[in-house]
Amino acid sequence: MVLGTYKQVVTARSTDKQIQKIAQDGGIASALLCFALDEKIIDGAVVAGPSEVMWKPEPTVALTSDEILAAAGTKYTFSPNVWMLKQAVRQYGLEKVGTVAIPCQTMGIRKMQSYPFGVRFLADKIALLVGIFCMENFPYESLRTFISEKAGVDFDLVEKMDIGKGKFWIHTQDQVLTIPLKETHGYEQNGCKVCLDYVSELSDIATGSVGSPDGWSSVFVRTDGGDTIFKQALEAGAIEAKAINEGKFGLEMLTKLSTQKKEKAMKVIDERKAMGLPVPFKASSEKEGDPLANV
Amino acid sequence: MSEKIVISPTSRQEGHAELVMEVDDEGIVTKGRYFSITPVRGLEKLVTGKVPETAPVMVQRICGVCPIPHTLASVEAMDDSLGIEIPKAARQLRELLLAAHHINSHAIHQFLIAADVVPEDLMVTAINSVSEIRKTVQNVVDMVGGEGIHPSDVRIGGMAQNLSEVARKRLYARLKQLKPKLDAHVDLIIGLVADKGFPEGLGVHNQETLATDVLYGDRTKFDLERFTEIMPESWYDDPEIGKRACSTIPLYDGRNVEVGPRARMVEFQGFKEKGVVAQHVARALEMKTALSKAIDLLGELDTSASVMADFDVTGTNKLGIGAIEGPRGMDVHMAQVADGKTQFYSCLVPTTWNIPTMGQATEGFHHEFGPHVIRAYDPCLSCATHVIVLDDEDRSILRNEMVRI
Repeated sequence: MVLGTYKQVVTARSTDKQIQKIAQDGGIASALLCFALDEKIIDGAVVAGPSEVMWKPEPTVALTSDEILAAAGTKYTFSPNVWMLKQAVRQYGLEKVGTVAIPCQTMGIRKMQSYPFGVRFLADKIALLVGIFCMENFPYESLRTFISEKAGVDFDLVEKMDIGKGKFWIHTQDQVLTIPLKETHGYEQNGCKVCLDYVSELSDIATGSVGSPDGWSSVFVRTDGGDTIFKQALEAGAIEAKAINEGKFGLEMLTKLSTQKKEKAMKVIDERKAMGLPVPFKASSEKEGDPLANV
Repeated sequence: MSEKIVISPTSRQEGHAELVMEVDDEGIVTKGRYFSITPVRGLEKLVTGKVPETAPVMVQRICGVCPIPHTLASVEAMDDSLGIEIPKAARQLRELLLAAHHINSHAIHQFLIAADVVPEDLMVTAINSVSEIRKTVQNVVDMVGGEGIHPSDVRIGGMAQNLSEVARKRLYARLKQLKPKLDAHVDLIIGLVADKGFPEGLGVHNQETLATDVLYGDRTKFDLERFTEIMPESWYDDPEIGKRACSTIPLYDGRNVEVGPRARMVEFQGFKEKGVVAQHVARALEMKTALSKAIDLLGELDTSASVMADFDVTGTNKLGIGAIEGPRGMDVHMAQVADGKTQFYSCLVPTTWNIPTMGQATEGFHHEFGPHVIRAYDPCLSCATHVIVLDDEDRSILRNEMVRI
């Protein structure tokens, strides 16, 4: 249960050369949203689109594949996509919305669907929720600070950022720099310290780089809706998939990281509870049954 | 020998009111008095002293039945006080929002009178027809207003957002598709009202009608000089009723008037009919006017245009007037802004205008028709239902001496 419930887990990537080129890893989020849009499974998507400020994403309602692809690639700071969902079904008039969300946003969206206060007629209009793996997220100023101060690179020159192999990778036009992840600790937002979800356990389909080779993504297919869309995308050839590596650099790695995130967060939750501070979840290491099933 | 028939509260309407009819030996009403028995609203007092943007948000809570007209009247009053000229697209969106709301609200009323005029074998058809219409037009309200009940996107200076092109096309197509259904619905309602066989002349009165526009409202047509307001004590000739009635009596040229769909059609479309049947017919026909206007507006709307004006909220203490034609009649809000705060706020809500006329309209017919006359006005008294609960345990409301300040 440490990886949430899922119907299948595979290693997959987009077959589209253009997506492969611009995507963070396997381009699963982009490929699925573009496919769902083409097949009219969704009529638009809320994505982390580019803003006027470099590396500061802005929630955008994408109505075409081009607009979806303009949002491809991971940004290591927040894009409050949930905030834009209401606008997508109101002013944009969408009825089948797709979106990409990190675990905390996934939880928010699911909660919103269960208790739709202030979001009438929104709950049933979310047709596809692609979750992405997330260990932690950085406020924009944190990101800018450690990239310009620790790596010594002008923020505007950065072409791609990535996390892997215990390092934060910064790609510029002519060099690749790294910062050990240990040094980025303390820069993450506070909420990440109590977050128990690494692999977007409540999404329709969750995806991320960990557990798969470069250029591929690990994909958890979780819900019936997600399963249908994923199978259709496979059949149509928009996505290719193979069995996931069950070993040290595959599922074992995912399990290890997910367990670590949960255990670490539960410790913080317990500490906060002991101090009488509020925590956003009831979950803690004292939960009956399997504490690792906490989300 | 006169007898008194009291209906309290009158049913299938919004809010609480009482109808007191004096009848003769044959049961014919000789004197009708209709009055609100809900305590005064306090919202005008709540918004004074606060920033102008607070007013539309608070006063839209006056009523869950017509929050759209209250919001629009409020922002129009503020726009006027602050001297704001709103962009064309914002005006179109506001008109579209109100047109959709008119259809929705009239449909709700037709549901309320269904028990009076719809025979049992047609009940399901009539109710389904109402639901279908409401669903489609509420979709417009959702998208344009941002929220179906208390619209969040209607702002001082315009609208918070324009529609997207996708939404515009989608709504346009839906409203076009609604047209034949609405036409059939209007025919159905008019036919059913005719079949009911209300007596000739029921509800006819000789009071003037008052309306400012075909559908939206026009502050230049509301002349504040001609308006006076008196206390119920001096209007009702029964001191007991004068004491209990909770709404003031607004007069135009010193006389009570009728507002609402029939009034609008008399003023702007040469409608001549009077009475209960005429009111139902006017209301139904107005749904067609509203739908064709909504379709036109959606056809013309430039979705790339700006919908918010630049403005300064400091204000010059000018008395701003917002006159909006709500489904039940003219809704006027007045506001003064100075030093960035609301200095004065007042609402003249639709049913308040109708209250003195409604009792009078029951006269001359058997008292059993009284409720039909009242319902034909689609009275909505919830503008007056806002009270403070003092104690959650015993549910005691605002003390009477506080109401009577």
